Amino acid sequence: MILYTPMQLELVLAGLDQMDHSSDRKVTVNGVPAIVRKNSAGKEEIVQLLSTNPNDYLRGDLLPGTQIIPDCAN
Amino acid sequence: MSYYKSFNQVPGIFPYQPPAQPGPETNPEHHEHPNQDPNAERTRITGKSKNTLDTVKEIGSTQVPEVKSNIHCLTIVGQIEGHLVLPPQNKTTKYEHLIPQLVAIEQSPEIEGVLIILNTVGGDVEAGLAIAEMITSLSKPTVSVVLGGGHSIGVPIAVATDYSFIAETASMTIHPIRLNGLVIGVPQTYEYLDKMQDRVVRFVTHHSKISQDKFRELMFRTGELARDIGTVLIGQEAVDCGLIDETGGISKALEKLNCMMDERKHRNEGPLQ
Repeated sequence: MILYTPMQLELVLAGLDQMDHSSDRKVTVNGVPAIVRKNSAGKEEIVQLLSTNPNDYLRGDLLPGTQIIPDCAN
Repeated sequence: MSYYKSFNQVPGIFPYQPPAQPGPETNPEHHEHPNQDPNAERTRITGKSKNTLDTVKEIGSTQVPEVKSNIHCLTIVGQIEGHLVLPPQNKTTKYEHLIPQLVAIEQSPEIEGVLIILNTVGGDVEAGLAIAEMITSLSKPTVSVVLGGGHSIGVPIAVATDYSFIAETASMTIHPIRLNGLVIGVPQTYEYLDKMQDRVVRFVTHHSKISQDKFRELMFRTGELARDIGTVLIGQEAVDCGLIDETGGISKALEKLNCMMDERKHRNEGPLQ
């Protein structure tokens, strides 16, 4: 893992040790399995898609960072 | 006609007698509106229909007619996030989302070309190189535009496309890969970093017109960056050293992409037998 950036590393990595991933959960969003995480506003947003269908990654409603209403929790 | 008692009863007929007989020698009198200054500049108000205005008021936007574009626009902004999830103050582009997207682009029959818009401050070496390699290996025409900045690992992504543009004011920082994270002060660490750097240098020199010596010279130049060694190339400078093909913005990039798409279509159709 090497970061290649002209930005100060302290700035980029600030708060890395306070990151909380305990709210991560696997849900189905619009029929596609995804990992969601609670953001600072308490809403859940997509972190990563778990689909193997490449066309799901072109869908505008499933972009990482989109706030979601999950179909059901699994 | 005798059936009707007066003109009022005749539908569609207006009893009008012109004051003068129309002819080529008569000049019609021009009546100005009494309250209007005849010398005042007249403005003509053309506007959107009420319907559109209502939507603007209600939802803050107008309905854009959906036209499927045959190009796909990929924007790569902020940090390129790789193996490490970056803290939330960073704006990031996630490579695990971009890579399947590129697969879908390659597969989709509707998408004929890809426009890549870059405004990135670099990021993970492996993730950046992975995206760059994916872009190079696309069979569809690709054009990149560097807007704002395409620094560090943004450089290989910018040159990975078939043709690259840079905005006049956009900048690209070229600097060596620095030590970060857990560093063990043994010669192997430096060798490892050197190898990582070689990957970037090799990719960039292979996919652009810049020579390896020139790129390394820019990378290790002293006295240009305050906190580091390296160079900042702005607009035309990046073109002059052969890193980027041309300066220009969206119109030029789209023109080039459309041209390349047409060429590809003709090639695929082949000569008529």
